[in-house]
Amino acid sequence: MFSSLKEKVGQVLVPGDEFGFEAEDSISLTESAKPERVVCGPGLRRSGDRLVVSKSGVLRHKPPHCFWIESQQRRYIPAKGETVIGIVTAKSGDVFKVDVGSSEQASLSYLAFEGATKRNRPNVQVGDLVFAQFIIANKDMEPELVCIDGSGRANGMGVFGAGGLLFKVSLGLVRRLLAPHSDIRADLDRLFPCELVVGLNGRVWVRSSSTQQTLIVANLLQSCDTMTAAQRQQLFRKVQQGAL
Amino acid sequence: MAGLELLSDQGYRLDGRKAAELRKVQARMGVFAQADGSAYLEQGNTKALAVVYGPHEMRGSRSRALHDRAVINCQYSMATFSTAERKRRPHGDRKSTEMSLHLKQTFEAAVMTQLFPRSQIDIYVKILQSDGGNYSVCVNAATLAVINAGIPMRDYVCACTVGFVDETPLADLCYAEESGGVSSLALALLPRGGQIALLQMDARLHQDHLESLIEAAMTACKGVSKVLDEVVRQHLQEASVLTRE
Amino acid sequence: MKDTPLSNCERDFLIKAIEEKKRLDGRQTYDYRKIKITFGTDYGCCFVDLGQTRVVAQVSCELVAPKESRPSEGIMFFNIELSPMASPAFEQGRQSELSVKLNRQLERCLRNSKCIDTESLCVVSGEKVWQVRVDVHTLNNDGNLMDAASIAAIAALSHFRRPDVGIQGEEVTVFSPEERDPIPLSIYHMPISISFAFFQQGTFLLVDPCEREERVMDGLLMIAMNKHREICSIQSSGGIMLLKEQVMRCSKIASVKVSEITELINKALFNDRTARKAGRKCGFAESLPQERITALKTDQSEVEMTDVSERASDIIQKAEAPPPMAASPVLPAPGVGQVGHGLQNTWGLEEDEEQEEESSGEEEEIKMEEEQREKDKTTEAVVEISDSEEEEVVILYPETTKKPKNAGSSSDQKGAAASKKRQKK
Repeated sequence: MFSSLKEKVGQVLVPGDEFGFEAEDSISLTESAKPERVVCGPGLRRSGDRLVVSKSGVLRHKPPHCFWIESQQRRYIPAKGETVIGIVTAKSGDVFKVDVGSSEQASLSYLAFEGATKRNRPNVQVGDLVFAQFIIANKDMEPELVCIDGSGRANGMGVFGAGGLLFKVSLGLVRRLLAPHSDIRADLDRLFPCELVVGLNGRVWVRSSSTQQTLIVANLLQSCDTMTAAQRQQLFRKVQQGAL
Repeated sequence: MAGLELLSDQGYRLDGRKAAELRKVQARMGVFAQADGSAYLEQGNTKALAVVYGPHEMRGSRSRALHDRAVINCQYSMATFSTAERKRRPHGDRKSTEMSLHLKQTFEAAVMTQLFPRSQIDIYVKILQSDGGNYSVCVNAATLAVINAGIPMRDYVCACTVGFVDETPLADLCYAEESGGVSSLALALLPRGGQIALLQMDARLHQDHLESLIEAAMTACKGVSKVLDEVVRQHLQEASVLTRE
Repeated sequence: MKDTPLSNCERDFLIKAIEEKKRLDGRQTYDYRKIKITFGTDYGCCFVDLGQTRVVAQVSCELVAPKESRPSEGIMFFNIELSPMASPAFEQGRQSELSVKLNRQLERCLRNSKCIDTESLCVVSGEKVWQVRVDVHTLNNDGNLMDAASIAAIAALSHFRRPDVGIQGEEVTVFSPEERDPIPLSIYHMPISISFAFFQQGTFLLVDPCEREERVMDGLLMIAMNKHREICSIQSSGGIMLLKEQVMRCSKIASVKVSEITELINKALFNDRTARKAGRKCGFAESLPQERITALKTDQSEVEMTDVSERASDIIQKAEAPPPMAASPVLPAPGVGQVGHGLQNTWGLEEDEEQEEESSGEEEEIKMEEEQREKDKTTEAVVEISDSEEEEVVILYPETTKKPKNAGSSSDQKGAAASKKRQKK
């Protein structure tokens, strides 16, 4: 199965495509048969002795044995450990309710900020943006966010300062932006300095030195969704040639 | 135009008024004991009752509550016997829902809602007899009721309708004039600042005439505000005489 | 389903942008988004795109008994359907406030202004008249549904043709389109609604608000007019206080916009007519690009950068370096997680003892972080020095770029920019 999966890497798969668990055709006599291991990411599900594709998209592989489907989804589904940008919608008791664009609002304890104590509460208003990480994301439970890492440090998370613009892009673009050597980011680097916060839930926050530049970055990123690399580079070059 | 002459050569209207003349306005405040504020207002033959409850806790779904100001809930209804033809549905049709919406809007602009976060103010208005200018009579009655309830407002809200016939603006239309096919404009005004809380116009009118029509409506509203002011003053005087000793 | 809440950040940014006379999609204050009018294959079907907002209007007719009060007049019926398809905020079935508002405004705009000759719709007085129904469905809501709906409704009415009827004694025969050519409605004038959004208690005024602008605005003023500069209806909404001068100004802007849009509708009608006459493909199916994914097709949004070139030259003349951005995560106070700079630390440190509580280990870490910051600063400074020497200016000729136009220096400070950017993952 491993080889059959490997064959399809980079190809478009659609829901209903299947992979069998059957063993290799030629069994080596000398080596003991090693059990195959495959880690299924989003879009791949095991059903009995078969592996079924459940989303449409391109099959991706990460050595040694991670496989997943890269889809252009727009709705976010929380996953543990992912960092997202949320909007505080309510303060109730000792938790904030945070909208992250998923099916349910997540809860964020006011103690889950760096340096927060019972007496020392963080200053968070309804409507503020927070950059936070999921520690509970389970289909049967209310998702829970925190703004601290394991050692109790903020590590870049927390409440947003004033200014900047929030906008939505597709989840695919967000992942492209966050990839280790992202082309889009490299292109953007050459334009002008800006602050960029990317949440895995498709929300991007940008701030630059002027309203104009912030708008330019926001519009560029939003149009990146639908452009090929060549088109994008052409557009960025156009902006760059005229940019500040 | 229905064969009626809305404005005679001598400058008189169907009911004998001059062009800029209002109908007689009579009002009483505090007509009910149960409500927080109430008022009854007659403008010519149009009669309306307004009742105000609040500010109180949110009723119904709590999710509608606003964290920074009060919600104003308006309900407009017409008594079944208010029109010549008996009305089947006193409220809930598109027109009265729209009227409720307009009342709500008008009072959201005038009442200082930010003083009462997470609460609700109810304004119920009922037309007992309809003879044109329902919206404006409702606004005027509701203003008195809100004042009677002691809810802080920026200013009085006064409303008036004006029509446009033979190049002349007619103030405070009655039913016969309204149905006669004149272009009519309803305007709710905060008279002191000259701010328009609601503006609504039906039927066709050339752009050049708009200014004079709005001007006439504002003058009419200021006239109404004088009458309302007097009513409030008199009511307060009566109340203070009763409580002085 | 609930709509995504609007964050304070978006609200503040929008208001700031409006104060600077900028809009999200690069339009000017009084600009409309791109209007696209397409007609369906059937008569009386019209799609209107207003930027991302999309509505469809369909006109239909049937023979009914007239109203008792008006025996010799046809009946007009308008309905705007806010389908949940258009926006998650719209609910199925329930008559929302917005729906009542839109429906009444459309009725007022088209029925009360008597733009259609209803008497010509009478077949047999007191017995049979045509009832013309206009159904407007919203397909995608990106703000300003009213204007899109009013354009769609009037364009569909102008496009519509009703079947011909013949009367012989008591007999009324409705002819199919093959037997006799259908007859267009007689339309006196075309009222079009123009929306104005007010911000900051009426200080700022925008035409054609998009969805996010609609959520930030204080109030809305809708003026329906025709090209003869006759106002057909005015409606203000949403607790704002207007001044008379503002209304007058809006009515002047509206008259200009209406004549532009009327022109556009007439052109679209003309194009459709010629296409039909020539027997070419027409209608909705033709307007959709074939074998293309339409959801991923976006019109390139124009980013307005006209004044940037001026500003850039200004800056070059003054030879000032661009304002430095935060190079590293800002820690205004130890122990505060914060994204972005500019926000004051507003945590109430109630008692001094809390400072004692902070362990020495933590202090060490802070020191380390400060060192790190120092390092960042120094590296940044180095880059900037080299950068300022290399600064070069490229000024474009305006006609070379249709899209984002801008002038200034291309700063190739990759390293600095990378450190300036705070990527989170």
